[in-house]
Amino acid sequence: MASADTIAAVATAPGRGGIGVVRISGHGLEALARTLLGKPLRPRLASLSNFLEHDGSVIDQGIALYFPAPHSFTGEDVLELQGHGGSAVMQRLLKRCLALGARLAEPGEFTRRAFLNDKLDLAQAESVADLIDAASEEAAKSAVRSLQGEFSLAVHGVVERLIELRMLVEACIDFPDEDVDFLQAADALGKLSHVQAQLNQLLAKAKQGSLLREGVHVVLVGQPNVGKSSLLNQLAGDEVAIVTAIAGTTRDTVREEIEIQGVPFHIIDTAGLRDTACEVEQIGIARTWAAVEKATLVLLLLDSREGITPQDEAILARLPPKLPVVQVFNKIDLLPRKAGIEQDAGVTRIFVSAKSGAGLDLLRQNLLQMGGWEQTGEGAFMARERHLRALEQARASLENAAENWLQLEFFAEELKLAQNALNSITGEFGADDLLGEIFSRFCIGK
Amino acid sequence: MLFPTQFDVIVVGGGHAGTEAALAAARMERKTLLLTHNIETLGQMSCNPAIGGIGKGHLVKEIDALGGAMAAATDEGGIQFRILNSSKGPAVRATRAQADRLLYKQAIRRRLENQPNLWLFQQAVDDFTLAGDQITGVVTQLGLHFEARAVVLTAGTFLAGLVHVGQSSYQAGRAGDPPAISLAHRLRELNLPSGRLKTGTPPRIDGRSLDYSVMTEQPGDDPAPVFSYLGSASQHPQQVSCWISYTNERTHDIIRNGLDRSPLYTGVIEGVGPRYCPSIEDKIMRFADKDTHQIFVEPEGLTTHEIYPNGISTSLPFDVQYALVRSMKGFENAHITRPGYAIEYDYFDPRGLKSSLETKSIKGLFFAGQINGTTGYEEAAAQGLLAGINAGLSAAEKEAWSPSRDQAYLGVMVDDLITRGVSEPYRMFTSRAEYRLLLREDNADLRLTEIGRELGVVDDERWARFSAKRDAVAQEKERLKSTWVNPRMVDIASAERVLGQAMEREYSLLDLLRRPQVGYQSLLTLPGAGEGVSDPQVAEQVEIQAKYQGYIERQQEEIERHHHYEALRLPPDMDYSRVHGLSIEVKQKLAQHKPETLGQAARISGVTPAAISLLLVYLKRMQGRMERKSA
Repeated sequence: MASADTIAAVATAPGRGGIGVVRISGHGLEALARTLLGKPLRPRLASLSNFLEHDGSVIDQGIALYFPAPHSFTGEDVLELQGHGGSAVMQRLLKRCLALGARLAEPGEFTRRAFLNDKLDLAQAESVADLIDAASEEAAKSAVRSLQGEFSLAVHGVVERLIELRMLVEACIDFPDEDVDFLQAADALGKLSHVQAQLNQLLAKAKQGSLLREGVHVVLVGQPNVGKSSLLNQLAGDEVAIVTAIAGTTRDTVREEIEIQGVPFHIIDTAGLRDTACEVEQIGIARTWAAVEKATLVLLLLDSREGITPQDEAILARLPPKLPVVQVFNKIDLLPRKAGIEQDAGVTRIFVSAKSGAGLDLLRQNLLQMGGWEQTGEGAFMARERHLRALEQARASLENAAENWLQLEFFAEELKLAQNALNSITGEFGADDLLGEIFSRFCIGK
Repeated sequence: MLFPTQFDVIVVGGGHAGTEAALAAARMERKTLLLTHNIETLGQMSCNPAIGGIGKGHLVKEIDALGGAMAAATDEGGIQFRILNSSKGPAVRATRAQADRLLYKQAIRRRLENQPNLWLFQQAVDDFTLAGDQITGVVTQLGLHFEARAVVLTAGTFLAGLVHVGQSSYQAGRAGDPPAISLAHRLRELNLPSGRLKTGTPPRIDGRSLDYSVMTEQPGDDPAPVFSYLGSASQHPQQVSCWISYTNERTHDIIRNGLDRSPLYTGVIEGVGPRYCPSIEDKIMRFADKDTHQIFVEPEGLTTHEIYPNGISTSLPFDVQYALVRSMKGFENAHITRPGYAIEYDYFDPRGLKSSLETKSIKGLFFAGQINGTTGYEEAAAQGLLAGINAGLSAAEKEAWSPSRDQAYLGVMVDDLITRGVSEPYRMFTSRAEYRLLLREDNADLRLTEIGRELGVVDDERWARFSAKRDAVAQEKERLKSTWVNPRMVDIASAERVLGQAMEREYSLLDLLRRPQVGYQSLLTLPGAGEGVSDPQVAEQVEIQAKYQGYIERQQEEIERHHHYEALRLPPDMDYSRVHGLSIEVKQKLAQHKPETLGQAARISGVTPAAISLLLVYLKRMQGRMERKSA
């Protein structure tokens, strides 16, 4: 009863625990471990390892444990990676495992495999059943939760158009003797690019999952004396904050990255945005402006005692006009002023002290909220992660379809794969349903 | 009277399912009896005189790969052959032939009469004999009792058949034949779940009364395609054309004015008809915005003037039929030789069958063909073949066989039928196959002939031809893989002619053949390409395998991924009410349909992945208990 495929999941409870565990179970994990850790592992021996990205960069450092089959929890090869608990790190690590060939475990699947491989005794059987039952119910609930509202509408919109296109393609294949050329009559390629555009839009909108991957781009405006770095350090707090200054190709383009509750924030420092004749600098400045285009909000850092300076005003005037601005008044400890938040006319003012930490929680919440991050349980996030993967699979299949336009059976195959991917979000749409669509739309048959 | 000879397998019915079933069982050297109410109508095409088409042609090739008769008989009786979708890729290409009814029937009859181990007998079957839940034989109209441990029932539309023309209806099998009323009663007593379906035919017409000069000619392909792997175009009789005409607004007015006397629109007909083969009155009502419909004028044979106007199936009263036919271009003086009609008939819910087509409730009783809710000669014949094979296996107390969904359209069809049942007459379409790129007409032999040989349905001649082809394909692929050409050998002119561009480095011939624009024959003209194969079937196979390789590999990976538990067997007496955690709906569905494997269970609508997990856990527990008991 052995399963051939490898599964992976974050095994620790969601939240901001100090340690997070990604667990992987399957056959022949040695090779996966070697790629991921860059070194071979000895069975059942805790080993301090770097967890490596595909390009060799380090995702995290932690403890790796390898239990070869059958002496493991599931009875298969099991690899446990204990890293730092931030959800962003765990998600990156999980994603890396998926890229290495594992798939996301179904709810209760580790336990199920343990049971099927005789790792649990019969007395535990009923509880395993309960667990699968409960887990699938939980998964279903979270799927329903994340499927409410606009996201769901948008997915269904894409699916409907995809079905429409598939209907034409399949009718063309299965009913060549009809007197209409379904595809030519209906501009199939135009329809495909429409579906693609719609799907891309949807993917762009499906922010929640991609926030963790891509992070929030923030334009930082502020003079050097307002306490920028201490504030950023404070914001990152006790999270696995990696505060690094990544020097760009020129000395004046600086991007800083911090994490707030696992969400990466890319801070684009505008200090370098000034008029210059230096060619090298101009290149750097052009890059910074390009990054500004992607930004979701502006963080304006001020010294409470001074307020907005003319330099700040000049830069603000050049930013895209619709970007929401958060004005952060630092150094309130030097004034008789309490931490707090004021909002009016699209401008948010938050009063903080980087030194005392006052108001920083407010600021964190506000940044997360403005960045589009909604705090929900891990279960709901997993469901969304699944959805995003499905959407991305569908996107890849549609791209293949566009490339294979000239060979109709390949075109049809890719469209079907796209639909299969989306089926995992919207539910089964089988051959019978598709035929039903064809027959209700076209007068077919002799 | 008890018939003195005991048989291994009895086949009831001599249509497309019955004849393939009887031939298959007899090829397996089982003593086989074919019972039909009329030997003259063995192999009769009761609807339109055509074999094959998209999805259906695939089935015919599979029947052929397993040694069946349909493809070979079509090669002998076909009077117009075409490859449909010839401009599209190999996976969706399909062969279709118009057949001469008489020639086709003769070809089938000759095979039946000359098949060793096969007895023919003309008698209608009225009853079964049972010992407990095991079938033991059949009883005919005259009271003759024939004994066998395996019976294949292929009763077609004969079970309680009711023919409608306008407001009048009468009991019948198909036009001109008596219905099997007592058998239907007997089967109803057995309490097998059943339902009612409908199908129809158009009025037939004397071709001499038509004006072909105003219709569009549709000739067959030249050179004429061949159906059987062992066949050749030289077997084909004289080839003729089909013609195309159209309905018009006047036709539609005539039909609309006759609807108040249509059995379909006045609620007389209860059975469900196929959506893909609607009657002309259905087309006009459901697609009111379409002001014309295509009509194919198909010749019924070389020795008859009758034609089959494909596209105007109807059960309207005769006077309406008369007027509507004559309203069409070229049909102004048409003489109807037989009125069109609709027929309602009983079918048995195929969810009561195992994948071997044996009924779950009666051991040794197999159902094949239209009785299972399908439509079409090809669908019937393919089921007949499978039921015949399994009746043969069962008579020898061997384990049943059925192809999987990734192995054959036959497998797709049977799995669809037994897991999902039918809501309208089931017809094959390529879109039903998940692995369409693997299930092609061109490789049906590579998919099935080896298994057919093991089952005993493939004879020595076919086996020799197949083995030679299989080996030649492998050899030529190996040669292409190990033959390298480089820019020094291939001049730029040749490269541009064959590849469309200059060669930038060394390639194997197989790599070059994978390119979409490079054909096998033109590849061979490259300097250094060497001597290729001359057998067109081998060349075609080599080329397709090269072009499809990426997709084939991907589909095969998908098959492996999806099929961990596919074949895990569920005990037939499993008590689903005791499976912890299953919803009541799922419990009921599983208890009702009794899937044979976990894979089948997963395809029953409403059975969730979580339910499958729970079943796995339960099975494991049961297994543990059994082991402890026996320890």
